Amino acid sequence: MSAVQSCRDQESIVWHPVCAAARVTESDPVAVKIGNKRIAVYRLPDGELSALDDVCPHEFALLSKGFVEDGEIECPLHQARFEIRSGKCHGPLADRDLHKFPVKVEGGDVYVAI
Amino acid sequence: MFVRNCWYVAAWSTELSQDTPVARKILNEPVVMFRTASGKAGALEDRCRHRGLPLSAGEVDGEVIRCGYHGLEFAVDGACVKVPGQDLIPSSCKVRSYPLVEQDAVVWIWMGDPALADPSSIVEYPWHRPNSGWAWKSDTYLINCHYELLHDNLLDLSHLGYVHQKTIGGDPNTHVNAEMKTTRVDNNVRVVRWMRDSVPPPTYVNAVGFTGRVDRWQEIEFWPGTLRIWTGATEVDSGAYEGKRDGGFQLRIFDGITPETEDTALYFWSSAHNFKIDQPDVTNQIFEEIAYTFNEDRCVLELQQKRLNDDPMKSIVDINADIGGIQARRIIQRLIEKEAATAPTAVAAE
Repeated sequence: MSAVQSCRDQESIVWHPVCAAARVTESDPVAVKIGNKRIAVYRLPDGELSALDDVCPHEFALLSKGFVEDGEIECPLHQARFEIRSGKCHGPLADRDLHKFPVKVEGGDVYVAI
Repeated sequence: MFVRNCWYVAAWSTELSQDTPVARKILNEPVVMFRTASGKAGALEDRCRHRGLPLSAGEVDGEVIRCGYHGLEFAVDGACVKVPGQDLIPSSCKVRSYPLVEQDAVVWIWMGDPALADPSSIVEYPWHRPNSGWAWKSDTYLINCHYELLHDNLLDLSHLGYVHQKTIGGDPNTHVNAEMKTTRVDNNVRVVRWMRDSVPPPTYVNAVGFTGRVDRWQEIEFWPGTLRIWTGATEVDSGAYEGKRDGGFQLRIFDGITPETEDTALYFWSSAHNFKIDQPDVTNQIFEEIAYTFNEDRCVLELQQKRLNDDPMKSIVDINADIGGIQARRIIQRLIEKEAATAPTAVAAE
C-alpha cells in the first residue's frame, strides 16, 4: 500500500452535512444520498439520532418511506423490521442488520460520517 | 375473499325511487334496493323466498316490494307481509335484509353481521352536502377486475403521467419525482404527494388558467370500501405547502369500491370542485375529463386482470410507489383473516 493511499484511508471518515437537526423528527426521518450511499437519519424518543442504511437488505425499498413504530422501522414494501437504535434486523425476508453510521449535531445541523 | 363487516357503497341516493327497484350483486350476493312511499330505503336479498324470482323483477307498492311472479309482498325489514290467496304466512317466509344508511348522497350497505353495523364508522363526505361550497357530479362503472387492483390504482398516482398524460397527468417525471409520505392508522392509509414547482397538467390549466408553475398536491385516503382523493395546485410559492390551499385549482374525488364478484368491482365515483360552482357546464366539463381518465384506467385494469389471470401464481415485483397499495392490501388481508377467525362463533350464535 502506498503512503498516499494510507493517508487517504486515515482521512476516509468525512463528516457530511445532512440537514437542520430540527427537521429530523420521530415520525419523519430524513433521507440523504452521499455519493452512492443512501442513509436515513432517525430521531429516537429520547432525542438521540441514529443514521442507518436506507435501503432494505431484502429488495430495493427505501426504509425512510416506511413506518416508525415502537423504536423500529418497518419496511414499507415487505414489512421487515429493524431496530432504529442499532440497525438490528428482525425480518421477515431481510436477514442482515443495517449498517449504522456515526452521526452528530453541530451548530444545529446534522452530520453523518461515512 | 371479501371484508364483510364494512360499509360499502351500494348506490347513489338519487337512484332509489318507488318507480324502479335497483338490482346489484354485492360481494357475490344479489341485492335489491328500493324506496318506499314513506321514504324508507331498504335492501333485501334479491330472491323471492317462494320460488326464487328476483324481487327486482317485481314492483314497489307503498311500503312493500311485491314479487312479480305470485305477488308475495316483503317489507324493508325482509318480513313477508302478504301471501296472496292465504291468510297464514309461513314463518320461514322472509328474506335477508341488509342494514342500509343514506349519508352524504350515498347509500351505504352492510353485508356482514348486522349486530356490528355501526353507522358512525361510515366515511364522511361533507363535500357532497348542500351548501358545502362544492359542486359535484357522479357516475357508476362496473370494472372487470378484482377490487384490489382499483385500490392499487388509486393509491399509486405515479401512473398519472403515463396513463393520463393528456388530462390530469402531465409530465411523467413530475410524478415520479414527487415527494411522497405514507401514514397508516388502524384501517386507514393516507398517502400525501407533493409536486412542488411543477408544470400544471392540461386539466388544471383549462379550468383556472394557470400561466406559470404550480405547487401541486395529492392526498389519498383509504378505508376498506372507500377512498377520498383531494388534489389541487396553487401558484408556485403561494403557501400551499405550508397549508394555504385556497385559490388555484382543487378537485375532490370520491371513490366507493364495492366488490361485485371476485373478478368484478362496482366503482362509484364523483368529482367535486370548489370554483365556478354555480356554472353547471364547468361541473360537467370536469366530470367529463375525469370520466375520460377513469375510462383510461378501466382499459389498464381490465387488460391487467386478463393478463394476471393467464398465470395467477406468477409473481409480481413491488416498487417504492406501491407503498400505499401494499398497506391497503395488508389491511384487507388482516380484516379477512380476523373475520374468518371469528366466523364459527357467529354461526353458532345464530
